[in-house]
Amino acid sequence: MRHRGRLADVLRRAEDGPITDEKEFETKLVAQTARDFIAKYDITYDGQVVIPEDDDLADRLFEAAMEFSTAVGMLCTDTNRRILWSRDEYERGLRECVARAALGEGNDIARLTHRGVDDPTLPVVIGGPFGVEVPEDLFVPLMLSYAQESLIDVIDNPTLEAVDGNPIKAASPWEILGAWRELELSKQVLMRSGRPGLCVAGVEISPTALGEISATSWGGFRPSDLHHAAGISEFKTNYEALSKVAHIARVDAQLYSFMACIFGGYFGGPEGIALGLSAGGIVLNQNYMPTILSLSSVHPFLQCTTTPEILWAVSASAQALSRNTGLLISSLVRPSSGPGTRTLLYENATFAIVSTVSGHAFIQSSMSAGGTHARHASGLEARMSAEVSRAIAGMSRAEANRIVANLLPLYEARLKDRDIGQPFEEVYDPVSVKPAAEWLETYLDVKDELLQMGLPLDR
Amino acid sequence: MGETESLVAEYAAHLLSGDVEKAVSRTREIIASGVEPLDFFRTIFTPSMEAIGERFGRLEIFLPELMSAADTALAVSEEVLKPAIRELQSSVSLTHGKIVLGSVKGDLHTIGKSMVALMLNVNGFEVLDLGVDVAPKEFIERALEMDADIVGLSSLMTTSMPYMKEVIDLRNGLGHQEKFFVIIGGAPITAEYCEKIGADAFGRDAVEAVKTCIQLMKSRSDGQSPGGSRS
Repeated sequence: MRHRGRLADVLRRAEDGPITDEKEFETKLVAQTARDFIAKYDITYDGQVVIPEDDDLADRLFEAAMEFSTAVGMLCTDTNRRILWSRDEYERGLRECVARAALGEGNDIARLTHRGVDDPTLPVVIGGPFGVEVPEDLFVPLMLSYAQESLIDVIDNPTLEAVDGNPIKAASPWEILGAWRELELSKQVLMRSGRPGLCVAGVEISPTALGEISATSWGGFRPSDLHHAAGISEFKTNYEALSKVAHIARVDAQLYSFMACIFGGYFGGPEGIALGLSAGGIVLNQNYMPTILSLSSVHPFLQCTTTPEILWAVSASAQALSRNTGLLISSLVRPSSGPGTRTLLYENATFAIVSTVSGHAFIQSSMSAGGTHARHASGLEARMSAEVSRAIAGMSRAEANRIVANLLPLYEARLKDRDIGQPFEEVYDPVSVKPAAEWLETYLDVKDELLQMGLPLDR
Repeated sequence: MGETESLVAEYAAHLLSGDVEKAVSRTREIIASGVEPLDFFRTIFTPSMEAIGERFGRLEIFLPELMSAADTALAVSEEVLKPAIRELQSSVSLTHGKIVLGSVKGDLHTIGKSMVALMLNVNGFEVLDLGVDVAPKEFIERALEMDADIVGLSSLMTTSMPYMKEVIDLRNGLGHQEKFFVIIGGAPITAEYCEKIGADAFGRDAVEAVKTCIQLMKSRSDGQSPGGSRS
């Protein structure tokens, strides 16, 4: 990929950038600079709509994000040095970014392309139990529940609980064995689903570089699969993450890079989060040279991404980046509720609407029940995101806002209840991989409700 | 609003302003007006900090404001309260207890853990934050050095959770099980996991962590030892 030519430059800047204390970086640089630029560029959240319809706000946000990125950069915690770039260099990085990509192989290739605001182009959908822990014996049936969905173009692996009953410990040999077991199980999923070329997002079990580098070597995950490297909140990186980036660049693999800004954290409320996510896209693109960028925010007490304030920030930042760059951007939905509940479907539908009309190229679904409860995920909730994103693509932000205004009252007050629903084996038959009648009925009911709200799910 | 309540509200605003000089001079003024330093600490300072913590729990203020208030409170405590209480030759402690905390090995998530550290701090605990990716032995060594009452372990990743058990195994294996409690937290942590690995308590979020730590300290003063035994 043409933009990966700057890899050595990134690594060199992590060695000779200005030395900065980590606490100073977070409190003085990140928090203070964010506050300054929110005021300077008049970024305001008025709570009136979830999806901002003001193009000028999106463009001001982008300008603020460019200035923030130039002023703050990214801190490498192993060297305590900031990786800094000039505005010209960031602009060049954005000009050279990946604006279209092919994921997977053969007949199962998923082609994604940059999307704009209110864009009729269909986004690519990735389905999987993001961050949800799963025992070895449920890995294949759970993943088949996603792979069998025809609207899902890419699958994301869960977090494997153990290898032959042994817990997988970060930074230990177990991480390597876990990564390879994940690969073995993924291959079974691809063969059994009849989609051998389907792109798999893995290695999921790779908290350090060990798992990723090992299981992306000979015989492991393919370059056309989607490999992970995360930014550390907020705006930090380290040798582990940069080692993954270096390896993925050298084996010419697709890279999914992600960063989350904690709501109420150093960036503060919705305006700050919108700035953080926009700048996160610019900085990660420059330093990680990814295929896809995932930019999310999570509520620190509700463990979800579906509150109106977070949805607004996700939408505003998506619009800022999609209007002003060619990046392939995305955001992960993390519903508070779990499988078997109506609220999960409302949350996923709302997030898919916001994501799609705001310019996300890649719809990710979902980290069900906040990703905090083992086995609480199923393919049906990802189908909801996929169906909704296809139906809403091409509709305007104003139309989308009208539907979202109907959806929010159906779940917002219940977020604090954290209804985690039921585990996979209770909402699906793990042998036939068919959804239980009650779960399917709930799904169809909610789909009908969405149709009544004006979402053309029947077209 | 009563006189004390309005004083608490006014004092909380001073702490939140981040203006150390003003907060220190206001503290001196209140004490000079005849309020005993210990009474000030119990009826104004502590409730003000608790009110700030509660506002963060409702996300009416955010992490930078919470940090600024904690820094200001620390300065007030060091510059005014501690010397005043020493002068009275009182042995009363200004803290609920001492806590060492960090994210366990392999886990680099820092902000949730920092929120917990600050919330504990503003609620009257002396906190040593070891940061992220902390090895099990480091927790034990630092807890012993500091004579900590509680060790707090954070993990947001299932692959780092086994290191929580290692800390507890090390504490017990090295014979320190009666010295400090171990509280665990993080998105994937449940009550079942807490029980399974033998931790003394767990907290779902920063707000609950504070309540649980206060409860642990109360149980200690009631004669309950870490590890569940009664001394």
